Amino acid sequence: MNPAQASGWVGELAQQHLDAAYNLGRWLLGNEHDAADAVHDAYLRAERAAQTYAGGNARSWWLAIVRNCCLARLSMRKRETHLHSVDGAAAAQGLNSEVEERVNAAQCNTLLAGHLRALPAEFRETLVLREIEDLSYREIADVLGVPIGTVMSRLARGRALLQKSLGASPAQEIGHGM
Amino acid sequence: MECKNAQNMLEAYLDGELDRDAARALEAHVDACAACREALSGLDELRRALRAGGLRHIAPAALRERIALAAAAQRPPHRRAPGSTWLRYAAACLLAFGAGGVSVHMWNSAQGADSALSHDIFAGHWRALAAATPVDVVSSDRHTVKPWFAGKLAQAPLVQDFAEQGFALVGGRLDYLGAERVAVLVYRHGQHLVDVFVLPAAANLAAASEQQGYRLQPVRLGNQPAAIVSDMDAQEFSRFVTLLGNAR
Repeated sequence: MNPAQASGWVGELAQQHLDAAYNLGRWLLGNEHDAADAVHDAYLRAERAAQTYAGGNARSWWLAIVRNCCLARLSMRKRETHLHSVDGAAAAQGLNSEVEERVNAAQCNTLLAGHLRALPAEFRETLVLREIEDLSYREIADVLGVPIGTVMSRLARGRALLQKSLGASPAQEIGHGM
Repeated sequence: MECKNAQNMLEAYLDGELDRDAARALEAHVDACAACREALSGLDELRRALRAGGLRHIAPAALRERIALAAAAQRPPHRRAPGSTWLRYAAACLLAFGAGGVSVHMWNSAQGADSALSHDIFAGHWRALAAATPVDVVSSDRHTVKPWFAGKLAQAPLVQDFAEQGFALVGGRLDYLGAERVAVLVYRHGQHLVDVFVLPAAANLAAASEQQGYRLQPVRLGNQPAAIVSDMDAQEFSRFVTLLGNAR
């Protein structure tokens, strides 16, 4: 495949599965800005990796790259918070991002979204790929780079956790209502 | 099947990851086991909440544009430079091809619901051909087949045997079209297996179609819409269509 063909192909792939990529980014990173940046990074990385694409499910390949870019941002974010934590300005920034998180939370303000957001990332991403993006076990395994058995156990654990938190909270809500 | 095994398979079943035989075995267990039924409906409820909750974030237009710009920048510059006549001719061909692709795509999406349905029907037929047996209830007696469906579907289909006319009733099975559970009547004509999918009342399968030598033809079975799929030759096929259309 020559570079011209390769670039056209990756661009189309990215556009075709842009919502899936952005959605995964949002659920991993929590806000619009970071998710969009991560998807943009992912596109550039995919172009560079296009030559080495060895066939197989293209959507999984693309989402795996998106996920890696998200994880890279997450670990960068963690490092930054750590470095700046003694700094007063950073504390204000931290507060800002907290406000931002709350605004985002309000936009997607369902009980379920809150519980899904509260899940540990490994369960959250597996559930998002299965239930929202409708990927098969095989595809999820490819995106996450884990065996199918791991996908199944994460789904089971994630669903159980969600059911548990949903089972616990509606009762409280009703209590408040009355 | 033991309950413990069934519990472990419920999610794979819900996720459509079980093969046909395993799914059938699980369904049989769930039909008989209240605990598993409850667990399955709990999982199903969670799924519906997750899918209905507006939880999917749609990419902002700005991001779409940003990727399009980045993609344009990736393209080697000589493609945009004015080239030789030959290159321009090639570009025109590419454009024409692209436009064709777009119109085909639009045509496809207009036909979307219909072709999704026929796709499912063909897939169901081929799955049945590949399975150890194409039927769940084996019987040439319509008085056995119809009650078998009655216990499993809201409306049991009209069942008639056409053995004398060369189309012997083999039995019936349950299949899925999308998320809908439907009855399939199975007939045999010589070496050919004939499936009659009894469609939901709302289903609207307008036209006959053909895929890989298999033909699919909409027909009415009593008061229900149905579809015949088989690889019989055209003449035999239309004979069966008439027989089925006249079934009372």
